[in-house]
Amino acid sequence: MTADALSSVCNLGVLDSLSEASISEILESWNSFCIITETIVKGDDTDLSSYYSKFQSHVSSLCKYGLRDLVEEHFLLSLQETLEKHSAPKFWKNFDANSNGIDLETNDKDMQEDVVELLLCKALEEISLEKQYQEKCLLMLVNSLQICQDYPSDVENVLFSKYQLIVSSVLMTTLPRQFPEVLHWYFKGRLEELSTIMAGDYEENNESQDKNDMENNRYGKMDIDGSFDQKKKLEDKLVRNIGMVVHNLRNLGFTSMTEDAYASAIFLLLKAKVYDLAGDDYRSTVLESIKGWIQAVPLQFLHALLDYLGDSKIYLSPSSTKSPLASNPSSCYPGTSKPSEGIIRWQLRLEYFAYETLQDLRIAKLFEIIVDYPDSAPAIEDLKQCLEYTGQHSKLVDSFISALRYRLLTAGASTNDILHQYVSTIKALRTIDPAGVFLEAVGEPIREYLRGRKDTIKCIVTMLTDGSGGNNNGPGNNGDSLLEEINRDEENQENTGLDDDINTDDKQAWIDVQRYVYAIEENNNIPGARIKILPALGNQTQGLPRGREDSRFHKNSVVKRAQARAVPGWVTPWEVLVPGCQKQTISCWEPDPVEADPQKGSRYRRKVDVLGMIVGIIGSKDQLVNEYRVMLAEKLLNKTDYDIDTEIRTLELLKIHFGENSMQKCEIMLNDLIGSKRINTNVKATINQLSKTGAESREHETPFDIINATIISSNFWPPIQDEDVNIPEPMDKLLNDYAKRFHEIKTPRKLLWKKNLGTVKLELEFEDRTLQFTVTPVHASIIMKFQDQTSWSCKNLADAIGVPVDTLQRRINFWISKGIVSESSSNDPNDHLYTLVDSISDGGKTVISNEELVADDDSERSVASVEDQLRKEMTVYEKFITGMLKNFGSMALDRIHNSLKMFCSDPTYDKSLQQLQCFLSWLVAEEKLEIRDDTYFLKK
Amino acid sequence: MATMNNQDSNNSNNRTAAPPTNASKQPLPTPKAVDTQSVLKRLQSELMALMMSGDSGISAFPEEDNIFCWKGTISGSKDTVFEGTEYKLSLSFPNDYPFKPPKVKFETGCFHPNVDLVGNICLDILQDKWSSAYDVRTILISIQSLLGEPNTSSPLNTQAAALWSNQEEYRKVVVEKHLYKKPNH
Repeated sequence: MTADALSSVCNLGVLDSLSEASISEILESWNSFCIITETIVKGDDTDLSSYYSKFQSHVSSLCKYGLRDLVEEHFLLSLQETLEKHSAPKFWKNFDANSNGIDLETNDKDMQEDVVELLLCKALEEISLEKQYQEKCLLMLVNSLQICQDYPSDVENVLFSKYQLIVSSVLMTTLPRQFPEVLHWYFKGRLEELSTIMAGDYEENNESQDKNDMENNRYGKMDIDGSFDQKKKLEDKLVRNIGMVVHNLRNLGFTSMTEDAYASAIFLLLKAKVYDLAGDDYRSTVLESIKGWIQAVPLQFLHALLDYLGDSKIYLSPSSTKSPLASNPSSCYPGTSKPSEGIIRWQLRLEYFAYETLQDLRIAKLFEIIVDYPDSAPAIEDLKQCLEYTGQHSKLVDSFISALRYRLLTAGASTNDILHQYVSTIKALRTIDPAGVFLEAVGEPIREYLRGRKDTIKCIVTMLTDGSGGNNNGPGNNGDSLLEEINRDEENQENTGLDDDINTDDKQAWIDVQRYVYAIEENNNIPGARIKILPALGNQTQGLPRGREDSRFHKNSVVKRAQARAVPGWVTPWEVLVPGCQKQTISCWEPDPVEADPQKGSRYRRKVDVLGMIVGIIGSKDQLVNEYRVMLAEKLLNKTDYDIDTEIRTLELLKIHFGENSMQKCEIMLNDLIGSKRINTNVKATINQLSKTGAESREHETPFDIINATIISSNFWPPIQDEDVNIPEPMDKLLNDYAKRFHEIKTPRKLLWKKNLGTVKLELEFEDRTLQFTVTPVHASIIMKFQDQTSWSCKNLADAIGVPVDTLQRRINFWISKGIVSESSSNDPNDHLYTLVDSISDGGKTVISNEELVADDDSERSVASVEDQLRKEMTVYEKFITGMLKNFGSMALDRIHNSLKMFCSDPTYDKSLQQLQCFLSWLVAEEKLEIRDDTYFLKK
Repeated sequence: MATMNNQDSNNSNNRTAAPPTNASKQPLPTPKAVDTQSVLKRLQSELMALMMSGDSGISAFPEEDNIFCWKGTISGSKDTVFEGTEYKLSLSFPNDYPFKPPKVKFETGCFHPNVDLVGNICLDILQDKWSSAYDVRTILISIQSLLGEPNTSSPLNTQAAALWSNQEEYRKVVVEKHLYKKPNH
C-alpha cells in the first residue's frame, strides 16, 4: 500500500489511500522538522551536530511520503526569513550607523577611509560567517536528502544556487543608497595606498636600471632588496585584504557592483597619474611612462587580485566570475588561461583609457603645444599615437579651431605670429595626419583670416626668403629661411621615397640631386657621417653656383649622376651616401580618413606641402612672386657690392617650387647684377687706360674707381620711383663719361641714369672731426651744397638741387638730426634757413662715427610697393568703375569684374578678382564708393 | 582678352548676321557682318574716350554682356529748368554704326517739348543730320543741351512746348515729375 502511495505521488487518489497512522506520522514529522529547522537556523554550530540525526529521520520520513519539495521550500524559506529579519538589517546597520560618517565634505579623508575600511571588513566578515553557517545548515539538509533517497546528484548544486540567489536578492532589495559609494571609497583608498607602495617600487627599479655605476648599484641593490621584501609583504597583505573583501562581496552577490567600484577606482587613479605625468611639459614623451606605470601598478594589482580570487574560488558560479569585458563570451569560459586573458583585457581597457585621457589633455592644450612646436614634438608624437588608438580626430579639429579663433585670429595678433603659428600647425599636424585631411580643416580658418590682412603677402615673402624671418626657434635653424627649411624637409622625405620614385626628367633629377647635395652638406658636420662629397660639388660653400656659367656646369655634372639613379644598382649607394640624414621609417599605406574627399586623394596629397599651404593663403603664386620681385629689387638696388650669392640661392629655391617661368623676371634682375659687375669692370678698366695713355687733361681728382654702376633692364624690374635731383657737377660729369664709355662698348645701348637711386659713401671733414656716412644721392647732394656756401635758404636749396621744397625739408631732416645742419627761421616767414654747423660746441663726438642710413625707410623706398603699383595700374579702371556704377546704380563685385574684362581693352584689364576687390575697398575707404550687401554704389 | 573679344564678336556676329537670312526686310551685304569687329573696336574706343573725357553730367556704359546696348545718364545743366535732375537713357547701336545713328531713348520720363511720353527724342543729329563723326559723347552732350534749348516749333510734347514760355511753372513741373520718378530710380 505504501509502495503504491509512493509510486504515485502526484496521484490525487493516493490521498484516499492514506491511513490515519500515516497522516499522523506525516504531521508529527513535519512539526518536528519545522521546530528543528527553526532551531538550527537560529542556532549555531553546536546545535547543528546534535540535531543532525533527528533532523535526518524527519526529513527521510517526510520524503517517504513524497514531500521533498515542501521540505526544501520550507527550509529555504526559513533561511531567507532569517536573512531578511536578522542578518541583512544587521549588515546594513553598519553602514547606516556610518552614513553620517560617509560625508563627502569631510576633510579628514584618511580618517574616513580608515573607518570605511574597518567597517566594511568587519561587516563583511560577520555576514560571511553567518552565510557560512547557513550554508552548513543547507548542507545538512542536502546530506539528509541524499541519504534517504537516490536523488539526482545535482540536488546540491540546485539548492546552493537557489540559496545564493536568495542571499543576493535579499541583500539587493535592502541595499542602502550609499553602499556603492562606500565601496568606491574603500577601493580608492586601498588602491592609493597600494599604488604608493608599488609606484615606489617601480621607480626604484627604474632608477637602479639607469645606474651604471657599479658601486652605486651594489648599495642600491642591497637597499632595494632590503626594502623590497618588506614591501612585497606589505603589498601581499594589502592585496590579500582587498582580495578578501572582493571575495566576500562576490559571495554576497555584489559581483558587478564590486567590479564597478574597483574599476572606477583604478581609472581615477590612472587619470590622476596621467595628469600628473603629462602636466604642462611638452618636451618629453609621457606615453611610455604611462604605459609602464599601467604595467607596474594597476595591472600588478589586478594580477594579484585575480590570482587570489582564482585560488580561493569556492562556490563561484560562472556568472559571478565575469571578466572585465563581460560582453565577450569567451571570458566566461572557465579555465586556467582566464586570469591572463582577463589581465590582457584589463590592460587594453586601461591603455585605451590612458590614451583617451592623454589625448583629451593634449588636445585641450594643443594651441600651446603648437606655439612651441619644434620643442613640443614629443607631445605631438604622443598625441599622434593616442589618436591612432582612439580615432577621435574630429575632436582635435573642433577644439583646435575654436582655440585658434579665440586666441590667434584676433586683431591683436601680428600677421607674422599668425603665419608662424600656421607653419607650426602645418608641421605639427603633418606628423599626426600625414594625409593632411584634418590640416585642411584646421588651416582654413587661418587662411581665411589671413586673406583679410593687408600685410600678409609681405610677411609671407619675408618669412620665406629672409633668414631672420624664418622660424629660428628650432635648433640649428638659426638664420635659415623657411624656404631652406622646407627644402630640407622635402629632401628628407625624398630620401625615403627613393625606390618608387624614379624620375627620368632631367630637370626634376637635377632638383632632386641638388637636394641631396644640400643634404650631404647639411649633414656634413654630424659626427660619424662618413661622407666624401663629390669634388665637383664639395668646393661650394653654400652648395649653390655663384654664377650662371657655374650653374650650368654643375647642372650637367649632376644630372648625369642623377640619371644614374634610374639604374637599380645605384639606388642603394645613394642611400648609403647620406648616412647622417634623418631616416624616416617607410610609412605604410594609409587610407584617407573617411572624411576625406576621394577626389583630392591624389598621390601628391600624401605629402603635406608646407609651401603649397602657404601659397594657398593668397590663392596664387603670382602675387607672391610679384611681392618677392619688389623686395628683391629693393635689396639689389641698395647693394654696394655685387655680392648676390644669397639672392641666387633663394631664387634657385623659389624656382624649384614655383617653376622657372614665374621666376624669370627675378632671374633677369639677378643677371643684371652679374652683368653689371662685368660691365662695370670693363668700363672702368678701359676708361682708366684711356686716361693713362692719352689725354692728361682728364681730371684725376675724380677717378672712376669711386663709382660702381648697376645696370638694369628696367622692363623686367618693378616700376622704379623717379625723382629728379641735380647731383653735384663733378659727379654728373663722371656719370656722363661713364655713360659715354658704356655706349662705346655696348653700342647701340645707352645708359639712362636714375640719379636718385643708389647709395653714396661720403666723408665729412670738419675742423675738429671727420664723419663717415652712407646716404642716398639726394642726401649727398644736399650736404655737398654746403661745401661752397654754409647757409642756404630752403627755397634756394630746393631749387639748386632740383627737388620740391617739401622733399628737401624731409630729406634735410637727416642732416639736422645728425647735428651737421641747423635750421633757423629767416626774415621770410615762409622760408627757413639752413646753416652748416661747423664744429660741435660740446666737443663730445670727435671720434669718427660710422653712420648707417636707417632713416625713414618707407618714404625712401626706391621701388614702388606692390600696392602702389596695383593702385597706379588700377586708376585707369577707376573711371570705368564709376562710369558703370553711374549708369547701373549698384553692381556686385563679379559683375564689375566681368564688365571690366569685357569692355576695358586699351590697357587690357588683367587683374584678379581679389585685386579688384582690394582696389574697390580702397575706393570705399576714400569715400568714393559705398558697399552695401556686397554690392557697390557711388557715394553721393 | 583677345579671345574674349573674338568670342564677343562671334556672338554679335551671330546675333546680327541671323536676321538677314530670315528677314529680307533689311538686306545687309555680307561684308557688313565681317565688319562687326571694327564696330566693336569703334565702340570700345568711344567708351574709352568717354570714360577718360571726364565730362560732368554725362555718362554711359555698355550693358553687361552686350556692347551694342548702352545705358546713359544725363544731368540737367546748370541755370536751366532741368538743373539738379537726372535722366536715364538707353542707347542701342546698329550693326552698321557709325554709318547709322544709334537709337536713343529716355528711360526716365522727361517732360520736354522734344521728348514724347515714351521717351522718344526728336533730335536732328539722331536722324537725318547724323554723321559718322559724331560719337556717344557728342550725342550725350547734344541731348544735354537740348534739354535747355528745346525746339518748340516742332514739338513731340505739345503741353511741354506750350508751358516752355513760363519757365517758373515749367521748373515746378520738372521738379515735381522728377521727385515723383525718383523712388523708381
